[in-house]
Amino acid sequence: MSTTKPQGTIKVRTRDVIFIHWFNAFFWLVLVLTGFGIISGDFVRLVPAFWPTFMQNLLGGNVNLALLHAIGGIAWAGVIGVYAVLNFKRVVLPFLKNVLVLTPKAAIADLISMTITLAHLFGLLKNLKVPPQGRYNGAQRLLGTMIIASSLAIASTGLYLFLAPKLLTFSTLALYGELFRWALVIHVSAVLLVLLGLVAHIYFAVVEEPESLETMKSGNAEIAFIQHHNPLWYESLKKEGKV
Amino acid sequence: MVAKYVMLADTTRCINCKACEVACRAEWDTPLGYSRDWVKEVESVNAKGMPELQIFPGRCQHCDDAPCVEVCPTGASWKREDGIVLVDHDICSGCELCVPACPYDARWLNPVTNTISKCTFCQPRIDKGLQPACVETCVGNALIFGDANDPNSEVSILLKTKEWQRLITDEVNIGPNHYYYTAGKTIPVEVMPKLHERHLAGKSIESIVNPLGTIGIGGMMAVFLGAGVKKLVDRRKEVSEKEDNHEHH
Repeated sequence: MSTTKPQGTIKVRTRDVIFIHWFNAFFWLVLVLTGFGIISGDFVRLVPAFWPTFMQNLLGGNVNLALLHAIGGIAWAGVIGVYAVLNFKRVVLPFLKNVLVLTPKAAIADLISMTITLAHLFGLLKNLKVPPQGRYNGAQRLLGTMIIASSLAIASTGLYLFLAPKLLTFSTLALYGELFRWALVIHVSAVLLVLLGLVAHIYFAVVEEPESLETMKSGNAEIAFIQHHNPLWYESLKKEGKV
Repeated sequence: MVAKYVMLADTTRCINCKACEVACRAEWDTPLGYSRDWVKEVESVNAKGMPELQIFPGRCQHCDDAPCVEVCPTGASWKREDGIVLVDHDICSGCELCVPACPYDARWLNPVTNTISKCTFCQPRIDKGLQPACVETCVGNALIFGDANDPNSEVSILLKTKEWQRLITDEVNIGPNHYYYTAGKTIPVEVMPKLHERHLAGKSIESIVNPLGTIGIGGMMAVFLGAGVKKLVDRRKEVSEKEDNHEHH
């Protein structure tokens, strides 16, 4: 591994990837704000009562709010879905290869690396070093896997929640209603799971590693940063002659 | 003062003719086999050993703390200021989370509209100054409807002059606005509300998903707020140490 500090930057993200990231972020914001506004009943509400009241008044009723949420959700899933299909080989497959945690062994390794990283934030486990990381570190891989699984769950359950009452007659088969109720549980759980991860994602991007945020704006990453944070990736970039 | 609508049922006047059910079904065009109101018959043997039949006309009790409103995910079940519990059919998904929540079994999934149906005290009629269809048609004048907040209304006067009971138990007391006069007889257990239940899915959201989500997201925010503060403190320390070293040199 090189010990000298390399200078300069390298292009690591293309414009379309950056667009999709910010498109996803914007739609998440809109869909979370509208989604939390739809769920109103005291027993099932996720946020204080003022929020559904405010959002429903703002949009002229829950019918409009739910429609906006559904249109937003379909646009979000549709654009990302079409993008994923059209760019499967170039973007999606390499991303999945780098980010998906599919075996218990990989999950344990990533959990250990994530724990050490988190402990270091509080000055703990200083004697333990974070194992060398590839393009994505352990926490990013775990978060990425969770977001991919959750997004698929959110999109499919969201479609059912929107379309089932319009297309199916619930009184003809009890399963339709049962599926609807569990779709709601899965939809809400998956959203909360992603939000949980997003707290960490935003903290690291804004406070700990603003270089990553810069990369998500310009597409360029400092080679020295890659060498320090992602030594395994740096080595592979070196092998490929890119740095 | 805002009206507070209540329904009184004098069971001693009810003759079980079911004209109220017919009027309701005609008014709301309910599908065959479904009705927004009902008349329950309870047979028993009285103290003299004689058979006795008690009759209880029933419908949505328009409870003050309506669990059907609290459990509805979309806010389709809602309560007007005057106490009437309604369903907004434009937003009702027909998920039926409210159906088992009602301790009076007053809600059902309408197979024609695919939404939840229930008694609304004939809200469009009362907004026009008319009586609910069941009251209008009651042969024995057993049903009396009106504004309990108007001291001169018939219901206010009757509530003061007779001893009325509500369908409440120690376990289920959610402020029903439907009163029964039984001439002092105990209301049979068959008419009393059942413990309101929930679908497992609704209970999961209330008892597992929401609390875990709140603790999880709150915990994450606390952790990273702490990390941010620590970073700030460490940075200040580092800067002041640098400045101290610089001054010593």
